[in-house]
Amino acid sequence: MSTEKYLIPESLYYTEEHEWLRVEREYGVMGITDYAQKSLHEIVFVELPEVGTEVQQKGMLGTVESVKAVSDIFSPISGVVIEVNEELIDKPEILNSDPYNAGWIAKIKPRNLDEELKRLMNAERYKQYLASLE
Amino acid sequence: MSALKKTHLFSFHQANGKLTEFAGFSMPVWYKGIIVEHMAVRESVGIFDVSHMGRCLVSGPQAESFLNYVTTNDVSSLNPLSAQYTTFCNHNGGVKDDLVISKLEDNLYLVVYNASNREKDYGWLKDNSEKFDVKVEDVSDNIAMFAVQGPKAESVLQRISTQDLSTLRRFKCLWTEIEECKVFVSRTGYTGEDGFEVFVWDTSLQDPQKAFKVWNSILSAGKSEGIEPCGLGARDTLRLEAGMCLYGNDLTEETTPLEAGLSFVVKFDKGDFIGKEALLKQKREGIKRKRVGIRLLERGIPRPGQEVIVDGEVLGQVTSGTFSPLLKVGIAMAYLPIEYSKEGTEVKVKIRGRLVDGTVVKLPFYRRLSENTVYLMGKKVSCPVGDWETLRLRLKTIENA
Repeated sequence: MSTEKYLIPESLYYTEEHEWLRVEREYGVMGITDYAQKSLHEIVFVELPEVGTEVQQKGMLGTVESVKAVSDIFSPISGVVIEVNEELIDKPEILNSDPYNAGWIAKIKPRNLDEELKRLMNAERYKQYLASLE
Repeated sequence: MSALKKTHLFSFHQANGKLTEFAGFSMPVWYKGIIVEHMAVRESVGIFDVSHMGRCLVSGPQAESFLNYVTTNDVSSLNPLSAQYTTFCNHNGGVKDDLVISKLEDNLYLVVYNASNREKDYGWLKDNSEKFDVKVEDVSDNIAMFAVQGPKAESVLQRISTQDLSTLRRFKCLWTEIEECKVFVSRTGYTGEDGFEVFVWDTSLQDPQKAFKVWNSILSAGKSEGIEPCGLGARDTLRLEAGMCLYGNDLTEETTPLEAGLSFVVKFDKGDFIGKEALLKQKREGIKRKRVGIRLLERGIPRPGQEVIVDGEVLGQVTSGTFSPLLKVGIAMAYLPIEYSKEGTEVKVKIRGRLVDGTVVKLPFYRRLSENTVYLMGKKVSCPVGDWETLRLRLKTIENA
């Protein structure tokens, strides 16, 4: 395995559990990384949080399942879920085909963003982190 | 940890598949993906390396009476070049393994059992063979075994086989040649489709050329039909849709063939066999629990070990569960008390704290019967190969009935 095989967009923040976060003006958008979708392979089921749910940084946000495996999704930041990607319910395969765009999972209104961003990785560090897993 | 065992085809799996550990073997879980491979078998044809399974030859003047003593089905009913599904039971009637016996000729049988039970079964056969005039020989590493499964399996295999396969009926066998290699072919499988199991004779792990020759020959013969090499992932989802048991999950030494719905492989009128007394007693008293199929009515994927709840009470647990790639719903098998095992019984499966509605259905969830007919939740319905949308709609009407 080489890290070249995985898409790691520059502008995003990353967690050790392979979620990404994109910071917008009013909220953060999160999803799972290319590495996560490739490890799971053929995602067939997604369980999303309800809008209004309070989430903690590194706290459970939902689950994704492939035919063989179950994987929890953790929130990259604390806050309130303001929108979820309902399209994933009927088309979970979008998580495989486009994990960073159409495959976004939830939008979160942050509570303590500046502090919590320090605990996330940038693209360069996430790349090194993936290399360390091999 | 000791090194993982490998089959003849290991270098192919390593180059083309995603490897996993299964029963001490390094095996492919998938090549392109479980769903693609699963659908190739439902729609056309797939090929599986199943050489990790245990195989032994039982020979000698008392081979038949010996096998009749250690298995539950009636071996004496087998004609040469016929196969039968059966079980080994312990003295309490619990299933030690499920297996297929093929009669090659009088006094010579090929016995095929699960990879996870290789040592246990071989030891069990050896120990019990002492009182009989038989020879039990482990040939697992000298015969390669492939499954060629799907509606196009016959036409693909026919292109390279010297013998006519069209007249070979289910559970019948023949000898043929593929690429000048001697192969034994049985019309058997573990997918719910028509298909064959192909045994490549005289090819050791150290000298796997014949195994490769036959494997590659089948792959090229099937190319125009879109043949896919399939891994253990698809093997599991296919057998589960077909309502077939996986040893270690749906069958254990604590379950009897009667509870598992396999009474058709228990022949009480054939003379003594291991477990007979216990099984007769259970038959007389009636079984208390039964293997059932459960289909989820809501979104969710049942997994082994999850609780099955009826009327607020935990009454069983999932023994096998998956997302059905064909029907696109969660399906599971579980043991439930007999009074809750009836078709239509409402159940809940506890999936990570969430109670998900399901219903007891007749098995198999899906199995092809003929070109135009399939079983769907145990009912015969018409469904040509590939007409899956109609089948899924049909499933919804069954549920609302």
